[in-house]
Amino acid sequence: MKNFDEFSKPEEYISPMDKHFRSVLRKWAAKEVMPFRRKYDEDWKTHHLIEPAFDKLMGNKGVGIQKALFPPELGGWGIGQSDYAFTVACTLAEEVGRADTAMAVAFMVTYWPLTTILVDPHVNWRLAKEFAPMFCDTEKAVFAANAMTEPQGGADIENMEILGGKTVRTTARLNGDEWVINGHKLWPTNTGGVAKLFVVPCTTKLGSHDPNDFALIFVPADAKGVTQGGPYEKAGMAADKNGDIWFEDVRVPSWYRAHGPGMDAQVFREIIPWGLVGSMGFVCGAMLNLYEILYDFVSTKTYNNQPLKENDAIAGIIGRIAGDIDICRILTYEGARMGDRRNKPYGYPIYSDEVVGKLRNLKDFVSDRAVDIFGKAMDILGTYGADREYDIEKHWRDIKIIQLWMGGKQLCQMEAARYFFNCKTL
Amino acid sequence: MNKTLDELFVYPKELVDEESKRVIHLVRQWADKEIISKRQEYRENYEKLFIDKSKTLNLTIGLQRLILPEEHGGFSWNKPANAPSIVSILTEIGRADAAIGVVSAVKYTIFAAITMAPNLDKALCNALAPVYCAEELKTLSLILPSMGNVGQNTPLFLGRSIRATVEPEGDGYAVNGKDLRPINSGAIADLFCVVCADKTDKPCIALVPGDDVNVVRGRTLLETGLNASSNADVSFNNVKIPKSYVISRKGVVEEIYTWLNLLLGGVSVGTGMNFFEMVGDWSETRTIKGGYMMKENPLCASVLADVADEVFTSRLLLYGLAQIISKPNDWGQNCSQMVYSISQIIGSKIQQNVIRAINRGLELMGSAGYSKEWHVEKHWRDVKTIQSYLCGVGAEAPVKMDTARFFYDCKEI
Repeated sequence: MKNFDEFSKPEEYISPMDKHFRSVLRKWAAKEVMPFRRKYDEDWKTHHLIEPAFDKLMGNKGVGIQKALFPPELGGWGIGQSDYAFTVACTLAEEVGRADTAMAVAFMVTYWPLTTILVDPHVNWRLAKEFAPMFCDTEKAVFAANAMTEPQGGADIENMEILGGKTVRTTARLNGDEWVINGHKLWPTNTGGVAKLFVVPCTTKLGSHDPNDFALIFVPADAKGVTQGGPYEKAGMAADKNGDIWFEDVRVPSWYRAHGPGMDAQVFREIIPWGLVGSMGFVCGAMLNLYEILYDFVSTKTYNNQPLKENDAIAGIIGRIAGDIDICRILTYEGARMGDRRNKPYGYPIYSDEVVGKLRNLKDFVSDRAVDIFGKAMDILGTYGADREYDIEKHWRDIKIIQLWMGGKQLCQMEAARYFFNCKTL
Repeated sequence: MNKTLDELFVYPKELVDEESKRVIHLVRQWADKEIISKRQEYRENYEKLFIDKSKTLNLTIGLQRLILPEEHGGFSWNKPANAPSIVSILTEIGRADAAIGVVSAVKYTIFAAITMAPNLDKALCNALAPVYCAEELKTLSLILPSMGNVGQNTPLFLGRSIRATVEPEGDGYAVNGKDLRPINSGAIADLFCVVCADKTDKPCIALVPGDDVNVVRGRTLLETGLNASSNADVSFNNVKIPKSYVISRKGVVEEIYTWLNLLLGGVSVGTGMNFFEMVGDWSETRTIKGGYMMKENPLCASVLADVADEVFTSRLLLYGLAQIISKPNDWGQNCSQMVYSISQIIGSKIQQNVIRAINRGLELMGSAGYSKEWHVEKHWRDVKTIQSYLCGVGAEAPVKMDTARFFYDCKEI
């Protein structure tokens, strides 16, 4: 094998833009991230080192990638209307994730709330026009956040299938032509003072499980009544800030609601597949980088005075690691393709049980394998495994949260069981 | 929780005598009072408090002298029969802070090679104990064989490269080795114990005072966990040591591994027990599906069961190994292939179990498990670091080779 690009991906599914995106992002990563990433852990609070790299990735003086989802007529690249939207997302997640999964998360989560208004067939042109300048006309990185998780029930909010939003405590009350929002959100990516724009999943009727009472409302971070706490200090993922957000009588125009009764619940279910495919892309990127590092290590270090890779027992372990990377990448692109089939006659809607159940299952599998092989790779490196200079331990710390987020393993298992076994009460 | 940890994670209590139980109880009180009940303060002032709490443990309680003979002011826990008590101490320390546990485990491992019956080396003990086990906190560091570099054949210890050498020079020995990676405390150690090859390529251990000018330390490493132990690469540039500082009796390196597997196992089991406490509390205060207490959900309960199961079986395995070490007349000396191999199997299994327990529990705790605020992520990083260090090189492969040699009489591997 010549290099890590030869890990399998279904070439016939790949976007015509794939090579170009990879080339641009790989250059950015090599110049802006790889030389500095070992210092990112200490930069978790201020982002003095991290912010310039984000600007070069997202802002117009650099790659300008934060505008990718917006339609061309609003200054974007039109990826939201592309037949390859999920596959491109996967490529971006992988390339940035190879350098730093936290950066990949932070920049791709900016797209996440915007998918509800920018991706066919649910483009909300009025809101798209409203927010396009914020993202398309700036040299700085601008972040958005999906202010989803609540303190009392964690990712219960994602369990729409069973709970229908009844556990949501953040409320939205229509007052004249404004929504008045009150509530507390905990831990969303790009909080801790980072995001300029939130989408806030909330309820118009506390305790209701009627999807018509579930609302997605856009809230600019500088709106009166929005308070953001500082970032949490975490085991890893320094480039992704997480904190608390409080909404206290926050008022936004009534048309800042994404779509309206019923459709908001549907597009909320639609963002789940985006998060799942993105998650798989992040860990695939990290796994590709693991392979690069591990290849060098097992070729230059010895056991029994033989290169590690030439010892049959160690070869058995590293062979399994590479095999898992290959399989996970195939599954990841298959997952992306499920998303891109959404508008095709042979596809399913991305809010459907089929797509959500299968993608939860794939994400669960891929992130489990990633946690396992990174742990194993650290052990291959032995006394060097925990050393930050070898970069694998950072990925090990970073990718653990990918396994845990979006409802964690258990919600993935439940959604898979519901779909594959037609469970009724889980 | 209406049961104590020892009622839940049972172990053969008869292996620990009443006097030892009192010392163990004292260490548990230290853990609860000094660290566990003050986790936030401990985290925020970690570097300073790590030293303060280590001093309380080692100097005030006196554990620095735990396995010294009585004539050196020690507790006289220098007999194999004390193995279950020693590992109990490490479990209690590991429950509070794995980094203090690892530093303690390494110190006891090194001194076990010097003081443990029937190999008590009185001369060496006389030379070292007053310096390294007196009224000042001293740190010991251990350098084991691990991996080599392509193009440089090295003497081997069961496949692992020995990258330090010891050769007679004058009336003593000279130690050499470049960029060696200790298990702990390379940046600050007062005394190194390094596995060396002698001029016939046979493995032995050398004790190297850290204040020798020919000991060159690299910069302090940033590692996944155990950072308070301040590790760094070390080079020995023809460091002269007295003749008595080299221990070359047959099987001494196996002894080192045997004790290290036991004692680091104790640290990780203790860490796992504290993780169990934390995840147990968590599961009683969080709800899922809009109202169920987390632990009452069957799927979450099965994850919680995995956590308990891994820690529970690890503790039993740990005391199984301690019992084997404690009865050389029944099982053979610590340096025997049998005891060494069993220690490798159990030591490796315990680390795997505990890291699995923590990984599983983190699945339930989600972002709280990942946040430093809840303190569990430190346990996760610390145990992973112990596991990788104990592997040495090539993940589980060297331990598998040790196991296969013992069970199948392999000759060529």
